[in-house]
Amino acid sequence: MSLYVLEGLRPWVIQRVSAVYIVLFIIYTTVCIFSADSITYIAWKDWLYNPFNTTVVGIFVIALLFHAWIGMRDVVLDYVHNIMLRIFILAMLIGVLIGSGLWVFRILLLSVVNG
Amino acid sequence: MNDNRPVYLNLLKIRLPLAGMISFAHRITGVVLFLALPFAVYLLGLSIESEQSFQNVQQILNRPFMVLVQVLLLWSIAHHFFAGIRFLLIDAEIGVEKSSARLGSWIVLVAEAVTLFVIVCGVGL
Repeated sequence: MSLYVLEGLRPWVIQRVSAVYIVLFIIYTTVCIFSADSITYIAWKDWLYNPFNTTVVGIFVIALLFHAWIGMRDVVLDYVHNIMLRIFILAMLIGVLIGSGLWVFRILLLSVVNG
Repeated sequence: MNDNRPVYLNLLKIRLPLAGMISFAHRITGVVLFLALPFAVYLLGLSIESEQSFQNVQQILNRPFMVLVQVLLLWSIAHHFFAGIRFLLIDAEIGVEKSSARLGSWIVLVAEAVTLFVIVCGVGL
């Protein structure tokens, strides 16, 4: 049985494309932080709930989850050789990543509800 | 079969070249950042929930232990960021030769040190 998500060129490409997006995101947010007049709750809320920034953060989270999944998966495949332990750890990783991702999307979507 | 061959690798006795150290540190920082992810999401939620919880986050982050954690995480991000860019350039066949690989490794180290210095001094953690 071959798992397509575990092999081939596709993870390699996803890792690089997500890396480039994350680099651009870090540069954008760094510029925003250093050009901010003051960091208050109101300023932070206005920034995050600006539709452009909400979208940019949302895409960042998706890129980060794929990036973290491929990176952690590679580490596990390199060092954990027992197949059952490997499957267990990979399942835990997926749980943490999807859980974190859904949590962020809940935070971002609350802006639609609360304004 | 030759019985004298080494049957295990003693990681403490392996001396990696600089580029190897950077590659290994890229892995370690990646795992560290993954482990920090759920906590970061928790703080993100708190920070946006209300004025009060925003101030709670500021108090949490100002604890001496959390300042140390933040410096370590920012260092991890800086290393993962610059070493990652170096690997992207190597994919584009830039900096592959031995001399340029060494130079690239040093640029990564200097860049992450400068970044950490600027952030720690600038933000005044």
